[in-house]
Amino acid sequence: MNIVATAIVGTMVVAVATATAALLVPRPARSAVVGVGTALCGAAGMAAGIAALAGQVWSAAVAGLLPLAGVVLTVDTLSGVFLSVIGAVGIAVGIYGIGYARHGLDGRWVQAMEPLFVAAMLLVPAAGSVGTFLVCWELMALTSLLLVLAEHSHRAEVASAARWYAVMTHLGFVAILIGLLVLTGHADNDSFPALRVAASTLSPTTAGLVFALTLIGFASKAGILPLHAWLPRAHPEAPSHVSALMSAAMVTLGVYGIVRVGLDLLGGGAQWWWLLVLALGAVSAVYGILQAAVGTDLKRLLAYSTTENMGLVLIGVGAGGLFAAAGNTLLAGLALTAALLHVINHAAFKTLLFLAAGSVLHATGSRDLDSLGGLRPLMPGTTAAFGLGALAGSALPLGPAFVSEWLLLQALVHGLAAGGVATAVMMPIAVATVALTAGLAVATFVKAFGVGFLARPRSEQAANARESPPTMLAGMGVAGVACVVLALTPVLVLPAVGGASGRVFGTTDPVSAGLLTVRLQGFAGSLAPLLVAVTVVAATMAVAVLARLFAARHRTRVSARLWDCGAGPLSARMEYTATSFAEPLQRVFDDVVRPEHDVDITHYRESRYLVNEVSYRLRVPDRVEHRLYRPVLAGVRAWGRAGPRLANGSVHLYLGYGFAVVCGALILLVVTR
Amino acid sequence: MSEAVYVELLSLSSGIVLLTAVLVLWRRELATVIRVFTVQGVALAGLVTVVAVHESSAELGVFAVGVLALRAGLLPHLLRRALTAAGPQRRETRPLVNVAASLLAAAGLTLLALAVSAPLVALAPSPATAAIPVGMAVVLIGFFVLVTRRRALSQLIGFLLMDNGITTVGFLTTAGIGLVVELGVSLDVLFAVLVLGVLTGWMQAAFGDTDLDELRELHD
Amino acid sequence: MSVAGAVSALLQIALVAVGSPLLVGVMRQIRARLEGRAGAGVLQPWRDLRKLARKQPITPRGTSEVFRTAPLLMLATTVAVVAVAPFVTIAAVPDAGTDLFVVVALLTLGAAALALAGLDTGTAFGGMGASREITILALVEPTLLVAIFALSVPVGSTNLADIVTSILHDPSRAITPANLLAGVALGLAVVAETGRLPVDNPSTHLELTMVHEAMVLEYAGPDLALVELASAMRLSVFLGLWATLFAPWGIAADAGVGALALGTLVFTVKVTALGAALAAGEVFLAKLRLFRVPELLAGSFVLALLAVVASFFFG
Repeated sequence: MNIVATAIVGTMVVAVATATAALLVPRPARSAVVGVGTALCGAAGMAAGIAALAGQVWSAAVAGLLPLAGVVLTVDTLSGVFLSVIGAVGIAVGIYGIGYARHGLDGRWVQAMEPLFVAAMLLVPAAGSVGTFLVCWELMALTSLLLVLAEHSHRAEVASAARWYAVMTHLGFVAILIGLLVLTGHADNDSFPALRVAASTLSPTTAGLVFALTLIGFASKAGILPLHAWLPRAHPEAPSHVSALMSAAMVTLGVYGIVRVGLDLLGGGAQWWWLLVLALGAVSAVYGILQAAVGTDLKRLLAYSTTENMGLVLIGVGAGGLFAAAGNTLLAGLALTAALLHVINHAAFKTLLFLAAGSVLHATGSRDLDSLGGLRPLMPGTTAAFGLGALAGSALPLGPAFVSEWLLLQALVHGLAAGGVATAVMMPIAVATVALTAGLAVATFVKAFGVGFLARPRSEQAANARESPPTMLAGMGVAGVACVVLALTPVLVLPAVGGASGRVFGTTDPVSAGLLTVRLQGFAGSLAPLLVAVTVVAATMAVAVLARLFAARHRTRVSARLWDCGAGPLSARMEYTATSFAEPLQRVFDDVVRPEHDVDITHYRESRYLVNEVSYRLRVPDRVEHRLYRPVLAGVRAWGRAGPRLANGSVHLYLGYGFAVVCGALILLVVTR
Repeated sequence: MSEAVYVELLSLSSGIVLLTAVLVLWRRELATVIRVFTVQGVALAGLVTVVAVHESSAELGVFAVGVLALRAGLLPHLLRRALTAAGPQRRETRPLVNVAASLLAAAGLTLLALAVSAPLVALAPSPATAAIPVGMAVVLIGFFVLVTRRRALSQLIGFLLMDNGITTVGFLTTAGIGLVVELGVSLDVLFAVLVLGVLTGWMQAAFGDTDLDELRELHD
Repeated sequence: MSVAGAVSALLQIALVAVGSPLLVGVMRQIRARLEGRAGAGVLQPWRDLRKLARKQPITPRGTSEVFRTAPLLMLATTVAVVAVAPFVTIAAVPDAGTDLFVVVALLTLGAAALALAGLDTGTAFGGMGASREITILALVEPTLLVAIFALSVPVGSTNLADIVTSILHDPSRAITPANLLAGVALGLAVVAETGRLPVDNPSTHLELTMVHEAMVLEYAGPDLALVELASAMRLSVFLGLWATLFAPWGIAADAGVGALALGTLVFTVKVTALGAALAAGEVFLAKLRLFRVPELLAGSFVLALLAVVASFFFG
């Protein structure tokens, strides 16, 4: 019995059943039913993914379900990686949503969309033909759009964010559509095997065009510069568990698209493709983490962190493509393994972070770091979850992202001489980019955790916070367990992921992972994450014990006042805020970040020497948006304003347009015959 | 009938169709234009009758009777009613393109129609198909009238000219459009005339005039 | 882990734990003498540690266990690095190898923990110190990783033991242009990471000029002893890493008693010499404004990048 087939069909059935149930079940039970249903969908998807990774491949064609081409589903090991990731995220989010969606988010249609979204995301890696792929892609976009709009009646920014998301995702869809259709035009039919055959007959220009178009669409979905503008808008405005789904699962499908089309269907391609991918990844990584480092909105910070991590993944994919184009398939497999492992690790910790941020939002009603703080005693579970997520997100040892970043660095370091001069130039730049993002990520997450959860509350809302309900904690717990397991024993996923990447390039598993050590095949390099963790923990305990022994006389701790320069009790206003914490970094990167200051001084009427009030506003806009989007939007607006000039209200003019075109067409017909 | 008589009658009727189209472009009084349109309807029915007799087809005969009833009877009647509803203005005032230029344009459009229809005629040369350029020319002239006349009624007549031309071309190329198709098209045309007639009345009530350029007031 | 490995690790830990306050004392004494003062003596840091250890432990109001455990974590990560680095003998390196990326990441983890503790206090000084420390940490990462890249190219591995063995086998590797450039770059990075002049003044009393000291302003008693010891050990570790990477002669190849003794001696001499040179240099330097530090770090990054280029083109 084919587990993959059963699981995928099961996912669809459960999703549709849950959606129907959401429309029928009364309000009190709705979020629970949908939560359980989504978690089951996720579990089925994960089962399909794991079975696929274990070697079970499956292919099915159902003609007639879709007009023209029917539905073709194909699951191979590469799909398996993404199926498992999406499924796992679905489980955590489903459990979390039971408690989170109970107030204000349990409208019929919003709840019904949740399992459908997970199911649509699970279908995209399973699609085996262009038609199926595009339909599932669009389904995913539509369901997620409806979920983003869930709170549109509470805040005005939700509608604007949803508009940006809708327009950009559809522009990306059009680009992917055109690219894939150009490729399909050269093939017999639109199934992936036919496309692979057709790709070998394409001229380099056509192949380059197909790749460029699909790259535009997929990179936009993955949140890569310069088409990332929807990410920091849509993720904060969506409900937190939806943000987790989008950030941890949906953006990875952009990476899936690039790997599937570029490496699998088009078969590798020219060097400049992968240099472009690498460059885009590097720029996104640095820009994303920089915006996160100077940001104060908690969920916007996490959204920019997603851009950064996807940038790192694309650095890995680009490096893999580069090495493969130069003929070094083992090294290419290593780079792609690093990228895919980072996708998995990112899903784990980003889910955890977004769920914890949702918990904070639920308890305090605020996303602004500058008004949070002091949540450790009031919300210990959430603090622990966010702390674990922050450790993971900063790519430090004991976190899962460290293993994938180490693999990526190893691939880049060993790849210096793997290609030509272009590769040799890009490798140090890529390593420097990874290093800078790692450093800035540490800064970002120290800021987010330290300012948001430690010290004293900076506002009334933070002071009145309470811990979240158990289902939300359970959801965070699932993601947290995943983080810890991935950090300590990557052996659970590495052989499968390594095998999948190796298969993409037609080589063996580039990494051999034992319980303790991860070793590179064919190159010198090894890492023992479990040993590192055990050593650090053991050393900490030993130091604690020794400190106790050497602290001779006193054993009890005394509580004392903080140093306040003798001026009196400290208030919460004297604490460092997120803005002030990031100020040195903002100054160093002033050219890139370009914050906007507004200072407004009002004086007393009686005398201009006496100041009544000073108002200061600091805003960090998105520089890329300012430089790139504003001219484009201004051009479109000018074009729109020119339009009415063509329509001045005269019926004769409108008819005249038609007449002129008809006569012109006829004359053309006559002349060109 | 003999071949020569057939060809003669065919040329005569198609010539009258084209001439009436040019006359619509030439005359300014709306009542005259409606009368000219009626003549065109009769000529069209005559054309169909000639071919029906030559082909000895009863279906075509029924078709000819239908054309006569609709295009020479019902439609001109509706147009005259719309004319009375349109009020005291009985003349087309200042067409967008003056009469001399319109006639020159008509000549040009006829030449274009000839050039465009040449391959169609070459497909199946026969006396019937030789009249296709006439139909094309009538279509283009009708479109021209639609574009350059100010009065709603004149535009309506232009639209009806187009339909006459299309019927001619269709009939000549296939020598027997399915009755159902012609019925459907005729119903559409009838409906259009009724609606536009009502609209003309409303325009008269709203603006005191049926000059379509007044509609520009609605633009912001 | 073999017995030899365990013994070597313990030896290294003991050596660094005992010796690092002495190193700090030597450096302070050299600075004092050069500045015309008598100085407090080489053993003063140990006396300070003993005094602090005997005081009552204090927890400031409003802090959490992050504040209490950060010094432990910082010390633990430093000890973890010392246990597996080939400072005295290569036998201390475990089978899985001591990857330089892991070493750098562990040391960053310790510093990040302390920055969190600074934020946990909720005072302006703690926040300021944490903010500045994190900025410098973020900007020094590229230099560190790219310099490691440059060092790994001729060897084909980022394992510290492999790099050391390759230089020991082929001494001419130590004076290649790539190595020299990487050495200068890493030297600047070490100065930044350990908080020495010109990046940070470890003996300043003005809070607004502090980076590291402001972060740990609230620590007192045994906690402060841990922090001081951890800082001293960090300094020794960084200097030791620099010495191991660029002057590895004298490192024992196995765990024989004689070899260990020689290795210990050579390591002590090397680190003391480096510390003395650093201290002497500090006398002639003033602290850089915080916003001039990125320029310094950018310069070190460019040197590291040139080192990679040199290692690629000149082998």
